[in-house]
Amino acid sequence: MRDKYIRCPYCESVNENTDGVVYCRNCRNRISGRKEINLHTAWAMLITAMVFYVIANTYPILVFDKFGSISQNTIIGGVIALWDEGSYPIAVIIFLASVFVPLLKFFLILYILTNYKKPQKGSKRIDQAKLYHITEVIGPWSMIDVFVVSILATVVHFGTVKITAGIGATAFVLMVFFTMLSAMAIDIRLMKEDSSGD
Amino acid sequence: MAEDLDNLIICKKCRTLHRKIDLPAKKVARCAVCGHKLYSDVEGAFAKAVSYSITSLILFIVANLFPIIDVYVKSNHSQLTIPSMISTLFSEEFYVVGSIVLVVVVIAPLSVIFSYLALWFLTYFKLSKSLAKHIISFLMVSRSWAMVDIFAVSILVALVKLFGYAQINYGVSAIALALFVMVDLLFLKSIKPVELWTYFSRVYYER
Ligand SMILES: [Zn+2]
Ligand SMILES: [Zn+2]
Repeated sequence: MRDKYIRCPYCESVNENTDGVVYCRNCRNRISGRKEINLHTAWAMLITAMVFYVIANTYPILVFDKFGSISQNTIIGGVIALWDEGSYPIAVIIFLASVFVPLLKFFLILYILTNYKKPQKGSKRIDQAKLYHITEVIGPWSMIDVFVVSILATVVHFGTVKITAGIGATAFVLMVFFTMLSAMAIDIRLMKEDSSGD
Repeated sequence: MAEDLDNLIICKKCRTLHRKIDLPAKKVARCAVCGHKLYSDVEGAFAKAVSYSITSLILFIVANLFPIIDVYVKSNHSQLTIPSMISTLFSEEFYVVGSIVLVVVVIAPLSVIFSYLALWFLTYFKLSKSLAKHIISFLMVSRSWAMVDIFAVSILVALVKLFGYAQINYGVSAIALALFVMVDLLFLKSIKPVELWTYFSRVYYER
């Protein structure tokens, strides 16, 4: 059975959950209906993000030119280098933010996308909403490594010693961007099945 | 019927339906099931966000004008400013990275600040209801893309990488940036969409 009320993801106002397309009575945004399109958008964005994740981890995110000899660091390479230097906390932070958080976000979105069609009740529904909430909070933190590379590329910029960003950095920001779009498409989706009555 | 729905709120975290009650100043309404914050005293929260958005605008300008850190390696000297970082990315043809950094570190935070100011102006004089609606929606999108706090943490991480072979002095903007992040988290990012919309309906529908 459909719930009686539905929460607007934009303005949080409570709306009646009628048949078909529901426009929020307060902010006029479309908050429900035409579900397949949104679902497909979420999938497309997620798959794009995953492809960029693979590219971001394969290609160097940072290029270090020291007196003409060039060394390149991938994300994992950078983490290992930090670990070897003894900067354990920073190595862990970068690993969590750049490698683990995006993966976690992928799995959470995948879980929500593959489970949303099954009939859900009570606690499971709450789990999904909680999971979504977590992805929203942790998602942006994966940008740390891109910022660090940008900062290093700005200050280590001397004649013979120079740091520049790598292709991996471009793939990484695109990954973050598409993951955010995918999550946004889901939030709108979740509403219809997921607003609970009292 | 519409009046009735305005008195309801669904918890963002666990989706439980609640009935809103009027709150005394400085009190917070929490979800009965999961304890997540639902809303607080709306007039107070909005007034605070507006007055602190002027503060944060000044801090943001200072943070952009002066160097955040000075880096010395032997006889070489370089500086980190937010504009120099973005121009470095663009001059090295990292247009995608440069654009995203520009959006999340400069454009989105400024959009948040100016949205608050515009919203204050509109609601104070009770002008264009539809424009106010668009500004609230825009403010919420801008807020989810504003990442100055994460950028500030990244500077600390970058410092750890630089400590080994460079001497680092902190610039004026380091303090401005730290204060900006504090004000941003405490007052600009803490106000909830539902609080803004409640404030909005109180102003325009006199509820
Ligand atoms: Zn709405
Ligand atoms: Zn709750």
